[in-house]
Amino acid sequence: MKHDVVVVGAGMAGLTAAVRLAQAGLDVAVVATGQGGLPLSPAVVDILGYAPHLVASPGQELPPYVAGHPDHPYARASLDALSKSVEWFLELAAPLGYAGALDHNLMLPTAVGGIRPTGIVPETMAAGDLPAGAEVLIVGIRNYRDFYPQLVAENLKRSSRALSARAVEVGLAGDARALRPQLLARRLELPHVRSELARGVRAELAEEQAVGLPAVLGLSMAHEVWSDLTDSIGRPVFEIPTLPPSIPGLRLQTVLGQALRRHGGRLLIGSTATRGSGETGLLKSVTVAESSRSVEFEADHFVLATGGIATGGIVSERAEAPREVVLGLPVSATSGDHNGTYFQEHGRDRIGLAVDNQLRPLNASGEPVYRNVHAVGALLTGAVPWRELSGNGISLATGYAAATAILGGPV
Amino acid sequence: MPHLETDVLVIGGGSTGAGVAWDSALRGLHVTLVDRGDLATGTTGRFHGLLHSGGRYVVKDPSSAQECAAENLVLRRVASDCIEDTGGLFVTTPLDDPAYADLFEPSCRAAGVPVEEISVAQALRREPRLNPRISRAFLVPDASVDAWKTVSACVRGAAQRGANILPYHSLTALEVEGSAVIGARLRDNRSGAEVLVRARCTINASGAWSGRVATMAGCRVGVVPGKGVMVAMNHRLVNTVVNRCTMPGDGDIIVPIRTVSVIGTTDVPVEDPDQIDPTAAEVAAMMEAGEALVPGFSKGRALRVWAGARPLLPKGEVGGVSDTRDVTRSHSVLDHEQLEGVGNFVTVTGGKFTTFRLMAKDAVDLACGKLGLAASCSTDVEPLPDSEAQHFYWLGARQEEMETDDPDDPLICECELVSRRDLRMAVARRSNWALDDLRRALRVGMGPCQGGFCAFRVAGLLHEDGHYDARAATASLLAFVEERWKGVQLMGWGDQLRQERLDEWIFQGILDLEHLPE
Repeated sequence: MKHDVVVVGAGMAGLTAAVRLAQAGLDVAVVATGQGGLPLSPAVVDILGYAPHLVASPGQELPPYVAGHPDHPYARASLDALSKSVEWFLELAAPLGYAGALDHNLMLPTAVGGIRPTGIVPETMAAGDLPAGAEVLIVGIRNYRDFYPQLVAENLKRSSRALSARAVEVGLAGDARALRPQLLARRLELPHVRSELARGVRAELAEEQAVGLPAVLGLSMAHEVWSDLTDSIGRPVFEIPTLPPSIPGLRLQTVLGQALRRHGGRLLIGSTATRGSGETGLLKSVTVAESSRSVEFEADHFVLATGGIATGGIVSERAEAPREVVLGLPVSATSGDHNGTYFQEHGRDRIGLAVDNQLRPLNASGEPVYRNVHAVGALLTGAVPWRELSGNGISLATGYAAATAILGGPV
Repeated sequence: MPHLETDVLVIGGGSTGAGVAWDSALRGLHVTLVDRGDLATGTTGRFHGLLHSGGRYVVKDPSSAQECAAENLVLRRVASDCIEDTGGLFVTTPLDDPAYADLFEPSCRAAGVPVEEISVAQALRREPRLNPRISRAFLVPDASVDAWKTVSACVRGAAQRGANILPYHSLTALEVEGSAVIGARLRDNRSGAEVLVRARCTINASGAWSGRVATMAGCRVGVVPGKGVMVAMNHRLVNTVVNRCTMPGDGDIIVPIRTVSVIGTTDVPVEDPDQIDPTAAEVAAMMEAGEALVPGFSKGRALRVWAGARPLLPKGEVGGVSDTRDVTRSHSVLDHEQLEGVGNFVTVTGGKFTTFRLMAKDAVDLACGKLGLAASCSTDVEPLPDSEAQHFYWLGARQEEMETDDPDDPLICECELVSRRDLRMAVARRSNWALDDLRRALRVGMGPCQGGFCAFRVAGLLHEDGHYDARAATASLLAFVEERWKGVQLMGWGDQLRQERLDEWIFQGILDLEHLPE
């Protein structure tokens, strides 16, 4: 089986690269073991939240920040790629109404009532960026165990935005069952269920300027659910992301997957790339294990987007050096002290691949291991994305930049 | 300053102190029990959960073995709800001197430890993961025991009989009048308030800390804290307690307890029982040691590491003890009136969890003598609360409960099957729970995800129920996350590292806990 490009991994970074390459007319196959990181992700595109101080404008902070961190994935991909990737993403994710800009972080309520900086957000969340002192109603749904409106409201009062928050809980008919997020999201796609929710909210609503709900407002019909609730409640409504599985992440995964197929790409979930074959400096194929057989996927270019330790792209066994699981690429592992408090950076936080400016993984002497292999997303070293809040931004910028490198011409 | 009057003041809320409280209360005494932290957070909450048959000690410390054998039988009767009847195996691995096995069986018989040699094939059928190269196997009545449940049952039983239980109260001074201890001065560690307790008799049951407490009354207890490291594995690698049939050494026991199995332990004398953080080298030693009993152990998924400080009494308290296993594991009850002329003050120390009831009995016997009370001990016949039916705990208990209880009750902790109702029932038992206390009471946060999902839910629910204000909920959540980190920071490999990364995405990426207002 021969493709122009094989992408390994179906998270934000892999799908970004794949969609962009498919849009450019290349024959792209995405192979992935599982669903990737998006169902775990709140699906906001964080650009840079903390450096480590709170970042108001990533656009302003990033040039000096990447200058000071030359190994940062943004430095490797280039800030130009970042800003182009954001423009590209805003267009691609239009069905979910993503909005935002590099020069201004939005400040959105969290499920524990903090205020969290983020860059690009779906339309269902944008109204959470409220001015200081604004009045907001936080609405919980009875028997949904991953959202506690009172804690959100009380902490929002104490937060940097000092919101004037109040909490209510609304029950839905037949809600006795312990509600799972997917079930809740699907039920809210039924008009009579969301009318019931809207009625319950309206009954409690006083002077509040906005209404926050857990991020479960519909899976495939999020726009309808959200705009319908906004209209019938009569106030801006926003979703607050909470524990996985993430409904907004599932929506984004669906939209990216649809875009890939629309442009002729293949998406093969349940297909694990196990090793590569090639000659010095040039990868010819990856072996992909499917349920009962192994298939060779040949390609001119490969994008490795398997994620870091969280998604299994890098495995670190006891008393062994961490390894990259598909091609055995060299892993840059800053070891060292794991002691200290939880909210410090720890030695193992930056385990990942070092890459050149075309995002090609490097060997010990700083040369690309393969001319035609690019690594993207959480697989890269140089950042601690859950601390600086840059995860999906890195995935987007590097996925986009890898596609640019591939489209730039023959290797 | 509030004044409390009591018959018996118990210092230390571990198994011994809880046992003293339960015993005293059954004899009709009014008890006040204090601990500087939550109950069972010192040595008791930090062992491997082994209810000894006595087999471990039959060669080296036969008197200790006899005590264990007798107490094992008693606890099976009175604390059945806290015990899982796993049985125990002593097996001779290729690393062990075969001569020990020849000594083992007669020594068991001499100490009254029930023992039966079984064939290697039988042992492997019972425990398929066991090293197939073992040469001999002996079955003994070891079991696993939930220390938190036991302590909780003791203090609940005592409280039902009027006892005053004061966790999170530090002892700031022992009050001495004339030549007798007449009570103590406490500080409530959460409110900062001072509390004065007047007691007719004070029992120092603070284990590895008992030397420190005794000093407050000018007395001396020559206890040596012995650090022991344990690692909890994600699975029940064995369903029977397995011991290497050899002189006690490091990492020679694996205990299946609840949903995990625990390997232990080490023994290093330390100066300060509060300075016992495990090291990476100790973790590595435990992981490697497990290979002798269960091949592949070192590749298993390890959840967490911790260390406890045993209270050890050197024989004759000779100085310069290097291996604390050379000291007796029996206990001592010290009458400070006889020793130093300080009246109404008793120390009970040494010993081990398996003999906590006997230790308590001996201490309360002495105290009763001082108080001129004739009542005799009944803890050997009176079942602890929840153990009345004399049914052992079994692994499927929570699943069974879930299937028979309200199916609509949402699970708060999937790893350990804790429902919202379970949480609310536990919380109703007392006030002032920290999230980490609930971990001990309910096992929320003890499973593979180490609190990644449930910590947030518990904080949210307790706030919703009015148990916490937002500041306290936040503080408790952050404290839980830090406490959890202590146990997982050295376990950074394999699937557990992957799990930790997911937790980081939840705690930091999604919830941004670090930047919450204090």
